[in-house]
Amino acid sequence: MKDIVAAIDERIPRPNDFTSPARGPRTAARVGLALGTCVGICFLTGLWSHFQYESPGWLPIGPHPAWLYRVTQGVHVATGIAAIPLVLVKLWSVYPRLFRRPRKRGIRAVVVGGLERASVALLVGAVLFQLVTGAINIVQWYPWSFSFRATHEAVAFVAVGALLTHLAMKLPLVRIALRSPVEDRLSRASDGPSRRAVLLGAGSASALAVLLTVGQTVPFLRRASVFGVRDGNGPQDLPVNRTARAAGAIEGATDPTFTLELRHGDRAVRLTRAKLAALPQRTHRLPIACVEGWSRNATWTGVAVGDLLALVDADPASVVRVRSMQTRGAFSSSELPADFAADPRTLLALQLNGETLDIDHGYPCRIIAPNRPGVLQTKWVKSLEVTT
Amino acid sequence: MKAARIALGALGVAGIVWGAWLVSDDGFDKLQSTALWLVGVVLLHDAVLAPVVVVIGVLAARTVPRDHRAVAAVAFLLWGTVTLAVANVLSGVGGKPGMDSLLHRPYVGAWLALTAAMVAVAVVSAAMMKGRHRETGA
Repeated sequence: MKDIVAAIDERIPRPNDFTSPARGPRTAARVGLALGTCVGICFLTGLWSHFQYESPGWLPIGPHPAWLYRVTQGVHVATGIAAIPLVLVKLWSVYPRLFRRPRKRGIRAVVVGGLERASVALLVGAVLFQLVTGAINIVQWYPWSFSFRATHEAVAFVAVGALLTHLAMKLPLVRIALRSPVEDRLSRASDGPSRRAVLLGAGSASALAVLLTVGQTVPFLRRASVFGVRDGNGPQDLPVNRTARAAGAIEGATDPTFTLELRHGDRAVRLTRAKLAALPQRTHRLPIACVEGWSRNATWTGVAVGDLLALVDADPASVVRVRSMQTRGAFSSSELPADFAADPRTLLALQLNGETLDIDHGYPCRIIAPNRPGVLQTKWVKSLEVTT
Repeated sequence: MKAARIALGALGVAGIVWGAWLVSDDGFDKLQSTALWLVGVVLLHDAVLAPVVVVIGVLAARTVPRDHRAVAAVAFLLWGTVTLAVANVLSGVGGKPGMDSLLHRPYVGAWLALTAAMVAVAVVSAAMMKGRHRETGA
């Protein structure tokens, strides 16, 4: 039996079999610093997005500035993409350590070594899980049984927790590695890339990956972003995330007898689209900003929600439940917090970029408010109800 | 530094516990799917991707002239990691029928152009380095 184990062990490579001097702590620490920064920004902007969906009492998020979610979520997806080349180079630089054998014998050494390996496995698993599922989610493919939003949030805490634990374990080594010069003065002859070349390559790859995808958030880079999930096109020059057909909203949206219901306690008012169009109209330029990282500015015309609330004798600063005619998919209703309802830029929009709202953008009417995640900008609205 | 390490470690463990607690209400199906993806991505890297890169390195060491190996390695790094960073749009998965807003670009053509550009830059860089070596007599 011992002979068999020894024979297998002999065939598994050892760290010294990996000869590239560019691997090792000096590369790992520097790439790790950049990767840790990306992961940190990605975590904080992701947490912010979570708060935008479910604003906690201690952090009321208001409608100012209108572009805030656009920036935070664009940065979230961009730093996630930037992290992909960095994590691959980081793992490459430490890969030989996967094959190290325990130096000491005994149960304690096995347990300590096992725990260290388990913590690294958890870190690698959680970070790769976040990057892979995030990248798949933005192309709207969901090949899993878990809820993406809830699990992406939970594993984010595991990833950052494992990262901090890893840093705590490796801090002395990281300090030594970062204080050591990138290259040795008398570097031994090697026909592979130098550490500097690998670091430069990792940074360039990260920047290039962002440049080639970020145009869905940064308008002037749209042409350069040949791998962007969205090219910015769609009906009326604005991308669509869910069509009327996919949401099962066509029948309700095209019903000629459509009326919008406004309700405040016992007081209820019904308005046809023609009556809505006869009310004072306001025009604002506001972005649609999606959790998937894309965003685009558009010119919206419609009735201020505050003006509609006045028709049912409600304070403009009321919490409003918005319900959609959609029959399929999540977010068929949303809650408009009082700060948003009172903002004169929060519209029940009837027009987009000077034309009647396209059915895929929410015809006959939709909510558009400043600084809100796209899924909460409810389309095909059938009722607004004051809840408090 | 010891105090900083203990604080970092404690904060880290708290993060892991909090994350685990957040999914603790999930049913068996969801947890199984989460575990499958957590383990799957590690195996995909450690048992497939990294060994493939090692094999490519061994083959390159046998076929690429010594002077050009560093340039070839950096070009491969750039090409490979950028390709994986955009694999989501290249893979052909995702999107929905009737959705013109999503995944509507010629991604494979763009990737071929990127590949050609990287090969061209690598060849030119290798030629320039060779010329410089000759001038300096290195």
